[in-house]
Amino acid sequence: MQSKLSDIELIEQTLSGNQSAYADLVKRHQRFVFTLAMRFTKTREDAEEVAQDSFVKAYRSLQNFEGQSKFTTWLYSIVYTTAMTFLRKRRLDTSSIDDENNFIQVENQNTGFENNLAENKSRSYYLNKAIEQLLPDDATIITLFYKGEQSLEEIALTLGIEPNNVKVKLFRARQRLKEKLEGSLKHEVNELL
Amino acid sequence: MRNFEEQLWNYVDGTCTPQEREVIEHLIATDEAYRLKFEEIKAFNLELQDIELDAPPMAFTYNVMEQVRAEEAQKPLKSSINTMVIKGIAAFFVLTITTLVVIALANANWSAGAANQINVPIIRTSELKNLFSGNVLNGFLFFDLVLALYFFDSYLRKRKISEAV
Repeated sequence: MQSKLSDIELIEQTLSGNQSAYADLVKRHQRFVFTLAMRFTKTREDAEEVAQDSFVKAYRSLQNFEGQSKFTTWLYSIVYTTAMTFLRKRRLDTSSIDDENNFIQVENQNTGFENNLAENKSRSYYLNKAIEQLLPDDATIITLFYKGEQSLEEIALTLGIEPNNVKVKLFRARQRLKEKLEGSLKHEVNELL
Repeated sequence: MRNFEEQLWNYVDGTCTPQEREVIEHLIATDEAYRLKFEEIKAFNLELQDIELDAPPMAFTYNVMEQVRAEEAQKPLKSSINTMVIKGIAAFFVLTITTLVVIALANANWSAGAANQINVPIIRTSELKNLFSGNVLNGFLFFDLVLALYFFDSYLRKRKISEAV
């Protein structure tokens, strides 16, 4: 069972030497951090590595957290930096991360059995597939805005850009997502016909 | 078209000014094309709010905490030693050295030797040989080596942490 203490209270307990308080913080935020990492890495193994590294880095720097922003905003900025560093290192071995085609070919990570389940073929299934096909920055902004309970200003802090820039990027990301979703649905309909 | 959609998204997100809001509400009420677009954007926005989060592996928290514990264990001795102990040792040495200096100065024969004569110390190689072969010197060199390794270790750790952060 997860602790009902606030993030700040858990941080204070962690800093006074209670490691289980940090385990509670990890449990509380692991799902979102993992999803955010997935938006960059596109594979579960790499996302696990990035998410794990992010939590360890956050633990190391916990005493530097001043509480001026939400803990999540601070944590997500660590995830963002860690993921970018990971992609930069990966880019040395592969082609450019800006090449959108790198991410279009990502196959479903689920098993074949899950693929055949009728409920997976819902609109929300295609929406998640379309998000996977977006560029990391677009997918991250959408995830932070809709699932991370982050305002435009907080997203700006996380990504290190201006709030107005976030607004424009969010608009464009949603446009691209809509196009990809419509494309996937059209393709599916054509396959059925 | 793009501007028109952008305005509607700002309206849905609640990021437009009260004046813009009034204009958009009026357009939604009076313009059918505008209203249809608004309904489409609103529906898409609701869909986006239901995006599913990916679940990490079962052992995720355990793995993170294992790594944290490993890092804690690797922390240099410097951070785990009570600073009072270090200050106590420093105080002991300072006190000992000060006492020795005071005793030496108190026992010195200040009137010995002529005022215009400077006594240059004569270094005898046989005495030096005895000095460098003693157990005290070996102990001193060993202490220096340990001290050098300690500082080198703390330097490497600091560099590793700054690189990681």
